[in-house]
Amino acid sequence: MAKLMMFHGRECPHCRRMMPLVDRLEKEEGLILEKFEVWHDEKNADLMRSYRDILAPRCGGQLRTPTFFNPESGDVMCGEVEYERLKAWVKKNAAEGRD
Amino acid sequence: MKKSWRCFVCNDIHYGTKPPEVCPTCGVRHAYVEISTEEAQKIRLPSSAPFTKDDFRRAITDFASRNAFRVNADAERVETLLEGIFANEANHGLKYCPCRLSTKDFAEDLKIICPCNFLIHETYAGQEKGECWCGLFVKR
Ligand code: SF4
Ligand SMILES: [Zn+2]
Repeated sequence: MAKLMMFHGRECPHCRRMMPLVDRLEKEEGLILEKFEVWHDEKNADLMRSYRDILAPRCGGQLRTPTFFNPESGDVMCGEVEYERLKAWVKKNAAEGRD
Repeated sequence: MKKSWRCFVCNDIHYGTKPPEVCPTCGVRHAYVEISTEEAQKIRLPSSAPFTKDDFRRAITDFASRNAFRVNADAERVETLLEGIFANEANHGLKYCPCRLSTKDFAEDLKIICPCNFLIHETYAGQEKGECWCGLFVKR
């Protein structure tokens, strides 16, 4: 299964809303997103910055939270989205890495 | 280039490319003289009582009252954002937006100091119910 990443901020209201949806999805689908809090962890912040050239153009030209990212394919989704859209994105990207 | 200026009547400090014609604090005209950044900092230091979350809340409420937007009525959301903004100032030096990430390019990061120029955000411009990226400010 492809590794999927979620960059989030502890005090970002979009992330607060998305977290329970991510939890639910992980349980329902039996998969895990790797989560990186970026304002209280410099290593995570630098990791997100290292993908700036890929992420920013897809997120209004800036690094924004939350950002969902498939480092293998370079697919990006950012901001608050509905459960069905999150699910569709995650399932599509999770499937991509499988042989 | 932006410089520091001091009103020689009331010690108001202005940072910009040119000084205001009328001092916004004491009202005197043509009273600004250019000073060094160090001097500007020294003048501001003695009175720099901590600027608290409540001060900031008051400042942005006042700022919004003069504009076509208001601070979000969702108090919990506002509180979360203010916590993030103040945590970012404590940990990273400036009041960076909690819903975005600094890049380490200082000029670029000046664009994400709260309140940012959200009138250009795609979540605000052209939207009937526009809001800043984080939803701290919403259209009236
Ligand atoms: S998007 Fe909203 S909360 Fe974020 S910096 Fe701009 S005004 Fe502040
Ligand atoms: Zn003055």
